[in-house]
Amino acid sequence: MLRMLLRRLFLGAVTVAIVSVIIFSGVELLPGDSCTAFLEREAKGKLLENCREAQGLNRPAVERYVDWAASAVQGDLGVSANGQKSISELVGNRLKNSLLLAACSLALGVPLAIFLGVVTGLWRDRPIDLTLSTLAIFAMTIPEFVSATVLILLFSVWLGWLPGIVLTPAHAPASQFFPEILLPVLVLTMVMTAHILRMVRSSVIEVMAGDYVQMATLKGVPYWRIVFRHALPNALLPAINVVALTIAWLLGGVVVIEVVFNYPGLGRMMIDSISDRDLPVVQAIALIVATVYVGVNLSADLLTMIANPRLRTMHMRRK
Amino acid sequence: MKRFLTMAVASAMIAGMAAAEPSGTFRQAHELGFGAQSSLDPISKGRVFQITEKIMNRLVRPGLDGKPQADLATSWEANEDATVWTFKLRDGVKFHDGSTFEAADVVYSLNRVLDPDSDSPARSAVKMITGVEALDNMTVQITLNTPFADMPLQLMDYRLRMLNEGSGDTIATTGNGTGPFKVETFDAEGTTVLVANPDYWEGAPGVARMEVIGIADGQARLQALLGGQIDMERGITAQQQVMLTGSDRFNVQVIPTGNWRGLVFRTDVEPFSDVRVRKAVRMAADRDELVKLVLGGQGVVACDAPVEPNDQYRADMSCPQDIEGAKALLAEAGYSDGIDIDVHVSTLEPTWPTLAVAYQEQAAAAGIRVNVVQAPTDGYWSEVWMKKDVAATRWNERPADQALHEIYLSTAKWNESYFKDEAFDAMLADARRELDFEKRNAIYQAAQQHLWENGGTLIPYTVTKLVGVSSRVHNLDQVKNDAVRWHKITVD
Repeated sequence: MLRMLLRRLFLGAVTVAIVSVIIFSGVELLPGDSCTAFLEREAKGKLLENCREAQGLNRPAVERYVDWAASAVQGDLGVSANGQKSISELVGNRLKNSLLLAACSLALGVPLAIFLGVVTGLWRDRPIDLTLSTLAIFAMTIPEFVSATVLILLFSVWLGWLPGIVLTPAHAPASQFFPEILLPVLVLTMVMTAHILRMVRSSVIEVMAGDYVQMATLKGVPYWRIVFRHALPNALLPAINVVALTIAWLLGGVVVIEVVFNYPGLGRMMIDSISDRDLPVVQAIALIVATVYVGVNLSADLLTMIANPRLRTMHMRRK
Repeated sequence: MKRFLTMAVASAMIAGMAAAEPSGTFRQAHELGFGAQSSLDPISKGRVFQITEKIMNRLVRPGLDGKPQADLATSWEANEDATVWTFKLRDGVKFHDGSTFEAADVVYSLNRVLDPDSDSPARSAVKMITGVEALDNMTVQITLNTPFADMPLQLMDYRLRMLNEGSGDTIATTGNGTGPFKVETFDAEGTTVLVANPDYWEGAPGVARMEVIGIADGQARLQALLGGQIDMERGITAQQQVMLTGSDRFNVQVIPTGNWRGLVFRTDVEPFSDVRVRKAVRMAADRDELVKLVLGGQGVVACDAPVEPNDQYRADMSCPQDIEGAKALLAEAGYSDGIDIDVHVSTLEPTWPTLAVAYQEQAAAAGIRVNVVQAPTDGYWSEVWMKKDVAATRWNERPADQALHEIYLSTAKWNESYFKDEAFDAMLADARRELDFEKRNAIYQAAQQHLWENGGTLIPYTVTKLVGVSSRVHNLDQVKNDAVRWHKITVD
């Protein structure tokens, strides 16, 4: 178990390193650099020279990458393009906001999804299942920016109940994001709930059709006892992995939502810094998102293993 | 009854106070064009003009009619040949930090723009200045390398704000100016808070507080306006206008500007090096139709002259589509089978692809076979513009003289069409030297006519700006950004 953990941790670190190289070369390959992106059509002559000089862009790419990697390993992510704010602080604020958005969506979405998933699974093909499953398919297939715009139109423009977009600055404390955060949370919850619900539903159906559930039924165990004591613990295991992926998605992949709602999270910062060619910031965010993906997946696997004795023994037997 | 009277008196008092004391908050967005490099330095490329225009003054500003009006300079006069200008400065003006505005500040601010080492983008507006000198505390003398009758027009440039002497190193974050609002917090990516400057020389502003909020996404800005989170959005599209005009919560101001979009045909490469070909490709455009198709009608037809509709030097020209004429010119130039051209556009400017496709259809009739090439947004200015033979371009308005000089003069830094024409250069030089307005006007108009005959840039229209304003805002001048008197605004 410990060996496996160490192996996974090592592989994770390698993955993160590879990701950072790919991102660096990717941004480097794009036409232009942070100075041409900033100066637009004035990017020539002395002005361009001054800008490149100030940002150290006249050094070769490999040298810049090595410099960056060396200080990143020591926890120093550098300074932003204007040389005034530390990236650790900038990205830290955005990470906090992304975590807040993720936490709110998860707190609302996961219990709801699991509950609805179990309900639809147990009452399979009944009206309630058909209704909820259809709704879930809608929630999954309607692009987020469409549902976001519809919700803004409904709650902010027509009813005037909630603010349409987020105007709170990135560095504000979490409490100030209410009630602006509610609409983005709602949209994310819709998408997320649909995914987890479908996973839980099919897993519940599968488990309820299992031999041991039939056995228990034949032995006369009461229905709800079968459900809670025997079926659900097994049925919910696959959900752990889906939830893990959802967390990673929430932290780095909700760019569209963040842009539509002007939410100051990691995803929007990533897009902005790519268009500004602000390489140090792009790198820092890629690093964080990659670490989150690796970390969350690893913990999900561990959790599954702890919760499921069969995986543990299988693993040991193979060794 | 007594109670009613007390209330009436109280509310009358509150209303009276509201007129005198600045009150309420006015909120607007900016598009966060420069991300982390955003700055309060008015001459830096990263200047957030939505903020600098409210916190700083110029020597001369555009009046509501667009003509030069006294700002920090109260009067000005030129010597006989307009090479030396003397500006009298306004007395008793204070910067936000308490220091007094004096001639030394003007000398400092202008020299800072002119410094070749910093190479500010604003420098080209005033590069005819060779010397700035303080004659006394309240008088400044500006010496030019050429006679220039319209010098005050150049000083109206939105970037030429007056700074306190020696504040250049800190101005990017302090924003210490003389304007009606003071910077409380500067946060380009979040909310920048400005507060009323009670000592403003034109009188205390109407609103107590202004918030300028960075919202990069255009759709999000519109949502914010619709949802009442901001009070004004400048530059909404004709489609978005529909959403606002139906509601009594919003007003829409319609403001013709000199901002233009167009297609540049490089005059130094085949086949456009032949003046007949480049006139033919421009004659093939149906400009009225383009205004309708591309701008939803919100534009004013232009005849390839970069001069705004309200400019005093605008030449009154007419340029209807002329397919037969274009065909004849092409045949004369040896292209009786027509020509094939690649037009490069990108979504950097959302209207470019529409413009190119509409032009493609129109030009086909004259045997001009247009192939529209979509170039990536990234690196458009460095890889495509001024590199490819035909590319889309866009410019913000500037005074006629400045636009003609910066974009068409043989030696211009941004001569995007590689236009080299001695006769045209001579006209511009003559115009600057001419002190008589009527004669000067005639020369500028002839120069525009000359561009229509010989130029390589298709300018089908100037864009009309739509400003969406919440109905809680009053006294917002219905003029271009540059001329709005921000201290006049009040909010409910």
